[in-house]
Amino acid sequence: MQAPLASAADLRLIERLRARDEAAFMELVERLTPSMRRVARMFVATDAVADEAVQEAWLGVLQGIDRFEGRSSLRTWIFRILVNIAKNRGQREARSVPFTTLAGEDLDAPTWEPDAFGASGHWSSLPFDWRGVPEERVTGNETLRVIGLAIAALPPMQAEVIRLRDVLGWSSEEVRNALDLTDTNQRVLLHRARAKVRDAVETHLRSVST
Amino acid sequence: MSAEISCKQLLELISGYLDDALPGDVRSLVEAHLAGCDGCAMVLDEFRTTIALSGQLTEDELTPAQRETLLDAFRDWAGS
Repeated sequence: MQAPLASAADLRLIERLRARDEAAFMELVERLTPSMRRVARMFVATDAVADEAVQEAWLGVLQGIDRFEGRSSLRTWIFRILVNIAKNRGQREARSVPFTTLAGEDLDAPTWEPDAFGASGHWSSLPFDWRGVPEERVTGNETLRVIGLAIAALPPMQAEVIRLRDVLGWSSEEVRNALDLTDTNQRVLLHRARAKVRDAVETHLRSVST
Repeated sequence: MSAEISCKQLLELISGYLDDALPGDVRSLVEAHLAGCDGCAMVLDEFRTTIALSGQLTEDELTPAQRETLLDAFRDWAGS
């Protein structure tokens, strides 16, 4: 599948970076560095090494910006640089983390507990109905806090995929390219993550509505 | 795939459906199922709600030290 090209906003940002515009650089740094640190941390042993990898990646971005051809979105390109650096550092530290550790051992687990269904695979009893919970409960700060905690508790690659997709609004192609995932892996990781976060929200809503 | 899908099968397809990443025939099966199944339509809405709420979370902020290190790196590069 073709990766999305740099957007008009990307192209403007690229021009500003090439013109040595400090504000443009810092805007990008503020926006991307928190996720970059977490992504780097998946491949290296310590926060300190992850920070070094992030700094090296930003230097790589500055040094490469004149040659960037815009064949991917800017943030995808930046993450590719970062992931390469972090993986190399991880290998140098002899810290090769198996994909299953990052992705989670539960990727094949069903979305829903099997005992909710009869022999035909249809609901044997309908699931808990959120519509009975007052709207302000569902969308309140407490629910947001529950979602944040549920994401933080996910295996690292699931957490990062759902953050990039649903918290930051990246496209599936961008995430797949940025994290070097297959299309299927991206979707399975996202679905697992969403299922668990949805489940955490439901547990929370049940507890406040009884 | 048979002409109908079960609730159990549908639940595995929700993210693919929301991403518009399902092949057309599978998408039609999902839509046909949703039209006749309150439980699954409800869960789909719950996924949508969860995704929308996730979009309201805010990212971590950089520490002043991290910001300064990157700013220094930029100034070195820009001045070179």
